[in-house]
Amino acid sequence: MALPPVILLALFVGVPVVLAIGFSLGHTGGLNSTIASIGLNTREATSWWGTAQAYVDVFTDPRFTRDLGVTVGVTVVSTVIVLALALGIALNLRLRGGRLASVFAGLAVVPLFIPVVIASWAILTFYSGDGFVRTVFALVGLTGPTWGYTTVAVIIGSVWTSLPFATLMAISGVQSIPDAMIEAARDAGASSFAIVTRILVPLSAIPLVIAATFTAIGVLGSFTVPYFTGPNAPSMLGVDISKYFQAFNHPQQAIVMAVVVFVLASGIAFFYVWANFRSAKKEGRV
Amino acid sequence: MPRRCLLTLSAAAAVALALAGCAPTASTDVAATNHAVTDASGTATVFISGDTNVQSLWTDAIIPAFEKANPGASVTTTLDLHGEHDAQTMAKLTSSVQANDDPGFDLIDSGFIQAAGKAGLLEGVSADNVPNLATVPDTTVKAGAGFGIPYRASSVLLAYDSTKVKTPPTTLDELLKWITANPGQFTYNSPSTGGSGAAFVTTVLDKYVSDKSRTAMTTGYDQSLEGEWDKGFDELKKLGASMYQQGVYPNGNNQVLELLGTGAIEMAPVWSDQVITAQKTGTLPANIKYAQISNPSFTGSASYLGIPKTASHKDVAQKLADYVLSSEGQALIASTIAGYPVISLDNVPADLKDKFASADPSALRPTYYSQMASDMNNLWDAKVPGQ
Repeated sequence: MALPPVILLALFVGVPVVLAIGFSLGHTGGLNSTIASIGLNTREATSWWGTAQAYVDVFTDPRFTRDLGVTVGVTVVSTVIVLALALGIALNLRLRGGRLASVFAGLAVVPLFIPVVIASWAILTFYSGDGFVRTVFALVGLTGPTWGYTTVAVIIGSVWTSLPFATLMAISGVQSIPDAMIEAARDAGASSFAIVTRILVPLSAIPLVIAATFTAIGVLGSFTVPYFTGPNAPSMLGVDISKYFQAFNHPQQAIVMAVVVFVLASGIAFFYVWANFRSAKKEGRV
Repeated sequence: MPRRCLLTLSAAAAVALALAGCAPTASTDVAATNHAVTDASGTATVFISGDTNVQSLWTDAIIPAFEKANPGASVTTTLDLHGEHDAQTMAKLTSSVQANDDPGFDLIDSGFIQAAGKAGLLEGVSADNVPNLATVPDTTVKAGAGFGIPYRASSVLLAYDSTKVKTPPTTLDELLKWITANPGQFTYNSPSTGGSGAAFVTTVLDKYVSDKSRTAMTTGYDQSLEGEWDKGFDELKKLGASMYQQGVYPNGNNQVLELLGTGAIEMAPVWSDQVITAQKTGTLPANIKYAQISNPSFTGSASYLGIPKTASHKDVAQKLADYVLSSEGQALIASTIAGYPVISLDNVPADLKDKFASADPSALRPTYYSQMASDMNNLWDAKVPGQ
């Protein structure tokens, strides 16, 4: 029964990935010949395994190292903010409850229903030079910050798009902890802070790790948010890949960057696999 | 030299005189008369690779009018929005021609006509199979190299907020001075994301490029000439601090129009057809005026149609192309997307003649060859923003 999906994956995911990695190493024949004939600045294989020249090109370009740094930075900052917000909303709902907490939890999910293109555009105009934020500041005689076309806007946009999923994961994780454990801790004299840090967070660690990995991988490979709201330079790698592939017609260098993003994402995905494995082990499935 | 001419849309009469003085050969070569097309029958498919305005030009204006004038003909379209899959379309066209197979479309409206023609994938065109081509000025036809059918033109203009800018710059040097004197009031989109920003970058680079190299750059790919761009890129880098928000180059032609419309900036390079359409639909206020600069002027060019060598309905495609070049077809292009006519102005209706008197497509300064433009985009990205 597993065979059809495996064949499908091998054909439509596996083969293109192998071809692309081969092309990045300079294997320009066979199925890669079309892209090699169209692209500029293509490096050809010089030994049986290929050539690392395209990788050298990319890593010696100061633009790439700068943008790689920004991409990692935006990913880390956005993930930390998203986790803090999601956990805050979930804990508020769990410990305090009430109508307001439910409203917060509902609001956090709203971005799920708004297309990213529209959200990015809205964020750009909201924080632009003539946007809402600056207008409000101007009304009281102050000068507000202009965040449109800056990395700050990229982080705001990334948090906006990632928050719903992380919130849903955090809420489900925190809600599944039985009341009895919290009450027992209270009876033993534990403070709210101790309950959060020693019971709620550790017990919902697996859904939180999953939320963090999905957020980080999503932000790492994002294109729409940095393309619309960010500066031309430094930009994130998703935007760079598209620029190198289309505008500069350097498909090989674009694929090298894609491989770098792939390696980074694999590192993050390791935590996801680990979390899944642990939860399966706990439930006795492995 | 046509490029030395002062072209100003708002001063049509003066410009008509100037053009007559500068490019006297453009209209005297054309003796043929334009004719209407009413005898086409059969089906054809048009492949459109472009923005939504080009799509609506075909589906809402040209095709209905063509089918009305030729009751036996029926035309369908295939759209690739923004030409995002141009590389795949080229690959498909190449394999169809090699296999002597119908590619599935009979007339192509796209930016890759030049490349496809050089690769020998397009049917030759001349006044023999597209008679109205005889009414297009020679220089424009020649730029099509015998396989591209020029059918509309547009150029980049300098748009400005007339309530704030009383005396707009008329030359490139004046414009560069204005930008540094008014920091934060000018910007252009990154050249890879739209032709208006690319035209500004090209024009500044051209200031330091010799005429001979410039001609080579517009007709072919020669990486060794790119050293002549260094001074221009230095100039652009220095301008960075005087741009909107000290160095913001928006992505896409429309974002620049938006900044101009909201009053965030006072001046920007814009596409002629986009600014005219935006004012007609009200997205740009009436205080935004536009004019061409000179010495050198911003670039502009004709757009070309092509017929695949192995298309199965070549005859209908040729009739359709002929129709587009008739005076009705050219009037539709002008009214739908404010495109410049490519046929000599003697052949267009009188009201259009006045409107486009300054837009002789044979006087437009062409853009760089596509691979030169790719390299320009790359070097700009490395040298200008965030430096």
